[in-house]
Amino acid sequence: MNIEQRFQQISQSNFETPDGDSFIAKLHGERQKRHVKKMGIIYGVTAAAFVAVFGLMTTNQLTDDPAAYASNDLKLLEVMDSETEEYVYDLAEYLVESSDDIWETLAFLDNIEFEPVTTMNDGGIQ
Amino acid sequence: MKTDHELIKEFQDGNHVAFDELVKRHLPETYGFFCKFTADEIEAEDLAQDVFIKMFKALKKFRFESEFKTYLFRANINMSNTYLRRNKWRNLLHLDQAPEPGYLDTSHEDGWKRKELWDAVAKLPSRQRMVVTMRIAQEMPYKEIASIIGISENSAKVNYHHAVKALKEKLQD
Repeated sequence: MNIEQRFQQISQSNFETPDGDSFIAKLHGERQKRHVKKMGIIYGVTAAAFVAVFGLMTTNQLTDDPAAYASNDLKLLEVMDSETEEYVYDLAEYLVESSDDIWETLAFLDNIEFEPVTTMNDGGIQ
Repeated sequence: MKTDHELIKEFQDGNHVAFDELVKRHLPETYGFFCKFTADEIEAEDLAQDVFIKMFKALKKFRFESEFKTYLFRANINMSNTYLRRNKWRNLLHLDQAPEPGYLDTSHEDGWKRKELWDAVAKLPSRQRMVVTMRIAQEMPYKEIASIIGISENSAKVNYHHAVKALKEKLQD
């Protein structure tokens, strides 16, 4: 069979057009699905960008200069017996080490006025 | 009966029913085009759906510089090119292991011949591919093909001639 005959066969093939109403219903369903998906991606990217910018901004506020934290170190500690003090420090260390969100943990320690931990700048609890 | 341009104007003014009317009006030719192109009703419906979803977005910015039919046909051609490219990769990655579609009445021809033909068409240079696709799928006159692609009628004929020659060589190998 030559190629022109093949062309003719294809152009003369039979087909039945789908029902217009159900096609339109499916079309709009799919269109909305894609729209929701697209918006999800946009929101996701926006949130990621926001987190990145916020992270950068807060990281820039950190400093290695001990003087920035020194004044708090000078405050007097409440007197605790050695056992309680050890327990409290262990507990604070656990909280700091196991925290998923260090800022939230530090804010919590700040709230309960556990300043020795929140103002430490030597990288860990002694 | 409202013209295509009147319906598009209404759609641009916020009447979505006008878009539905436009889809209903042009569904048979669009679906038919993809049926002939893919020999698979499901695939054809998906491609037609993709084209109309693109139209839903594109028509909001339609500038009435050409007939909607021409505009739609260009979109069909672009979609068929995307389909050919996608299938090329799919074949390359051996993802086409599913059985050949058998939905259409192709009893008078060998299904694989159609596939073989379109595979060969996919390898033609872009302009030849467009011209030959329009000739095969729609039996479109050269004048109309020329206006859709934006070339002269003679150029459309020359492209068709070269395409057929290339296909003959390819398919007779």
